[in-house]
Amino acid sequence: MAFYEAYSHPALVRYKTNICTRATLFVMVVLCLTYISPLLVAYRSQGFWLKRSTYEEQPVVQFQYDMILIGATNTAGNYVAWSTFPNFNRLVGDNLRIPSVSVQEEDRNQDGKSDFLNLQINIPLKPEEQMFTIQLLLTFTYQLFRMSTVAMQTLAFVQHSSSVPGSQLFISADLRLHQRTPLPHRGVHAVYNVSVIDASSPFASSYDLANIIGLYQKRNLTTQLSGAVPVWTVGRAANTPFQIRTQINYPVDTITYPLHTVSVLISLTVSSTYRLGFWETVKFAWIQYVSVLLIFLWIFQHIQTFVFQNQVIPTTKVLPFKQHNI
Amino acid sequence: MPVQIILVPARFLTLIAHLVIVIIIFWSRENSVRACLPLDYSDEEYRSEDTRLVVALSVTLGLFAIELMGFLSGVSLFNNNQALLSIGCHASGCVALLFFLFEQWTCSIYWWIFAFCRSVKLQSLFSLI
Repeated sequence: MAFYEAYSHPALVRYKTNICTRATLFVMVVLCLTYISPLLVAYRSQGFWLKRSTYEEQPVVQFQYDMILIGATNTAGNYVAWSTFPNFNRLVGDNLRIPSVSVQEEDRNQDGKSDFLNLQINIPLKPEEQMFTIQLLLTFTYQLFRMSTVAMQTLAFVQHSSSVPGSQLFISADLRLHQRTPLPHRGVHAVYNVSVIDASSPFASSYDLANIIGLYQKRNLTTQLSGAVPVWTVGRAANTPFQIRTQINYPVDTITYPLHTVSVLISLTVSSTYRLGFWETVKFAWIQYVSVLLIFLWIFQHIQTFVFQNQVIPTTKVLPFKQHNI
Repeated sequence: MPVQIILVPARFLTLIAHLVIVIIIFWSRENSVRACLPLDYSDEEYRSEDTRLVVALSVTLGLFAIELMGFLSGVSLFNNNQALLSIGCHASGCVALLFFLFEQWTCSIYWWIFAFCRSVKLQSLFSLI
């Protein structure tokens, strides 16, 4: 007993013709319209060739234990300064004031990458001295590994000034990557693996903060302190040192990288040295193309069925089953 | 014939749709003219571009009149080739002109659309007659 349809498959009706006929012309036109239109539609609606994409990675940041510290002790321009560069300390002369520094880098989630830096600097001050302004420059090494290998030396600059003398500056910020151009998706990027401050230079201009920052900002890849929240506490007791406490977090960064754009669909000769960027681009383009192609295929299938079934253009019909001549 | 039930209305609809878009471009041709000109243009250039577009649109409308006459008089009603050609040309003309209007393409493209859609139609129409 036949209860339900277990399986069915279509039987083909074929329409045959010669090469130089209207039917061939019609089929050519329909083929062009079917396969080229989705390309146009997908291309014109933007985003066909993915130009750049982003990924997230927590960088490996290490404090380099190099810093420059300058504090203004009165409104007349007197200052105290200290750095880890002997030449700078020599240039500063009498204004040198050696603080006590304690540094702690902590890896909170035990994944091998430091998560934040706790830095505490105590500057001894004479009882009649007050602190109005602090300028602190810290140096780090910054490394990325996931796509391209990036190694560079970067800095973080903290500056705070107040018209009221203070006893403590607490600043908490994130060290974030700032890109002017996308990073390549593979390879080694060690162009900026040079020290931001030239430690061997005896000239004062090498330690001028404006020069250092100016040169640093010319790089296409820098790190900057973002979300810096400075807290200036007033009321220093006479014999206590001025305290600077910084907490710099090393958060997960979003990095943009370019994909390779191809203007012509290259023939798919398989080679093991194909780059990741090419296939990612092609994959997204293919998804877009095929999804629009399905619509056009459906439309033109119906049009062609109508045209050939009703013999709008004459062709020879070949039925799937033998016709018995009675 | 069952096929004419679909072909004739399709031909009529594509023809009218094409006509409507041409009329819309005619009425709102200011934007199209401005799309043809460079950023800073003089009144002289504006007027010449305007004239050129008006000429193109008028020729199009004239040819539409001839085609409508040929269609409505019934001369080419049962000619399958004419019907298919007409539907194809007018449909592609509609789509192209839609893009021309909405994406503000340059005026030279209008001449290409015109040349492609209209001349093919014209040749076939004259061969019929």
